[in-house]
Amino acid sequence: MSAQARSGPVGRGVTERVGRVDPLLAWIGFLLVVMAVGFATWIYQVTNGLGVTNLRNTVMWGQYILFFMFFVGLSAGGLIVASAGRLFGVTRFAPIVRLAVLEATVAVMLAAIFLLPDIGRPERLWHLFRYPNLTSPMIWDIAIVTAYFALSVTYVWLYTRADLAAARSPLALGTGDTPAGRERDDRWKDALAWIALPAAVLLHSITAWIFGLQISRGFWYSAIMAPMFVASALVSGVALVIILALILRRFGRLSFDDGLVSFLGGLLAAFISVEAFLVLAEVLTAAYPGVEFEGDPMARMLTGQFAPLFWFEVSVGLALPFFMLARRSWRASPRMVAAAAGIAIVGIYVHRLNLVLNGLSVAPIGLPPGVSIGTAQNGASFAMSHFYVPSLVEWLIVAGVLAGGALLFTLAVRWLPLRPAGH
Amino acid sequence: MRYVAPKEATVPDRRSPIDLLPAASREWGRIEPPSDQPRWGMVVDTERCIGCWSCAVICKSENNVPLGAWWNRILTEGEGLDLPTTEHGSEEMSWTPLACQMCENPPCVKVCPVQATYVRDDGVVMMDNERCIGCRYCMIACPYGVRTFNWGTPQRPNGLETGMVAERPIGTVEKCTFCVHRLEEGQVPSCVVSCPAGARIFGDLNDPDSRVSRLIRDREGRMLLEDRGTRPKVRYLPARRRRGL
Repeated sequence: MSAQARSGPVGRGVTERVGRVDPLLAWIGFLLVVMAVGFATWIYQVTNGLGVTNLRNTVMWGQYILFFMFFVGLSAGGLIVASAGRLFGVTRFAPIVRLAVLEATVAVMLAAIFLLPDIGRPERLWHLFRYPNLTSPMIWDIAIVTAYFALSVTYVWLYTRADLAAARSPLALGTGDTPAGRERDDRWKDALAWIALPAAVLLHSITAWIFGLQISRGFWYSAIMAPMFVASALVSGVALVIILALILRRFGRLSFDDGLVSFLGGLLAAFISVEAFLVLAEVLTAAYPGVEFEGDPMARMLTGQFAPLFWFEVSVGLALPFFMLARRSWRASPRMVAAAAGIAIVGIYVHRLNLVLNGLSVAPIGLPPGVSIGTAQNGASFAMSHFYVPSLVEWLIVAGVLAGGALLFTLAVRWLPLRPAGH
Repeated sequence: MRYVAPKEATVPDRRSPIDLLPAASREWGRIEPPSDQPRWGMVVDTERCIGCWSCAVICKSENNVPLGAWWNRILTEGEGLDLPTTEHGSEEMSWTPLACQMCENPPCVKVCPVQATYVRDDGVVMMDNERCIGCRYCMIACPYGVRTFNWGTPQRPNGLETGMVAERPIGTVEKCTFCVHRLEEGQVPSCVVSCPAGARIFGDLNDPDSRVSRLIRDREGRMLLEDRGTRPKVRYLPARRRRGL
């Protein structure tokens, strides 16, 4: 008997065992590993200081704040779909409304978590509650993020409570499933919609005002920031809901017809056109006078250092998905809508990247030798500008937080009744 | 909401280094008698500044500022460090020494989420490094770029700390304090005492007859980036004549 023949059954056994590993468990295991690596990297960063990032005094906000803004924006989809559906009587969202509020909850939670690695003394976070400065937009933002998170969690619970109670889940918090109870839930959902919609608008506006109220940064100091943040949040939020809904439908966790996908695609196209309009209004107002101001961030954006990012945002991020969704026959295909949604999310990410980096890319006052860098590792003390690319540490921490979000979402999808009764 | 005063820094029980100075040096650095309620301000005479960086260097050693960080720096009005500008065919050089402008309307104080940066009664904009959470929002808000963050373990050329001030904790923001530890001793900030050209003058803006008040009046002391409405208490005297090379 040859060695090969003898090893045959053994090899087959291994294959079978690997084949039997529950893909859900493998996925959760993978996420836990990424989370652990991210957490360890964060400990490394806290111990050694934020110098392990590529942030310096010239570009002092980067990857973490960018992901904070981005996830605040992504959380828009949920409460808009849920509360606008209630307030304006759009009933066709019903099959995905639970997914939407769950998405909002996880996204806003991740946004808050992304603030942690950004601050230099995370162990002093309680100072925010002990010594709040009410003139600081950051305090307003922490208040609205907290309120929005509470609202989202309440919504998730209201939408799933009765089904959880029927299944005798402890998550129903001891309540029972009665027709009267379901009616009461509906009344609460209606009442909360009146708070949730303004809260969603405020969430994006206040996040914009963290930047837009700073007269020190000419590129940001603009009244269009708040409306633009609302618009880009709507684009990325609705796009993410579309993608997640299609994924969950494929896994059999949701069921809805392609008409809803097409409807959401049309909505996305409308939001993209609003965003494009605001970008045009901003660029035209800043560029038309032809006056050099603050190192001319508009010129850097249109033709200079940031031109590739800006024109990518305009052509691939806005124009392409808009045209993919423009024709009714094109957006009838869920694949097309999903592809357009994915591209639109990338476009909004690039938009925000451009916003943060261009706003910080030139030293205030702009006279040589610039501002002090803050560290002396290259022998230089000053810089006029600084081309910021996130370091490995920043990527690992971001990956860790994202994995945490994915884990939370996976577990919620596994344990919460996302499919409404009757669908 | 009431501002909760930070813990006062504890001063070790020892003789003030100011007392150890020769009498003439002590006299040279003495603040002229202030009013009952002084509001400290500084005048920088750009006509006198020779761009030597003495004030920037003494600031680093006085305040124990680590490598790579500067509370005070000298900007060149030109294309590069110490490069002249050419105006109407003649080459000229001038500098703008820049540290915290001690604004009357400080954007940094407005945005700090935890009131770690605040204005003292005498107008000095201060940092409480025991309260700062290190979010760097004040650095975003400052239009002058004079704040610096502690990015890691402070590095020093010979590993030794210098000056009269304890080092600031990692992960917090720091900046010029008008040398408050010297003000307590009745001495002007170290950048003022060290300027070989006498281009910096320090004093009480509440006293209309103080030297700073008179200079600002007589020579139209300008505010940097006046259009931002920060109303600095550091004023710049424009040169009265051209300084061709």
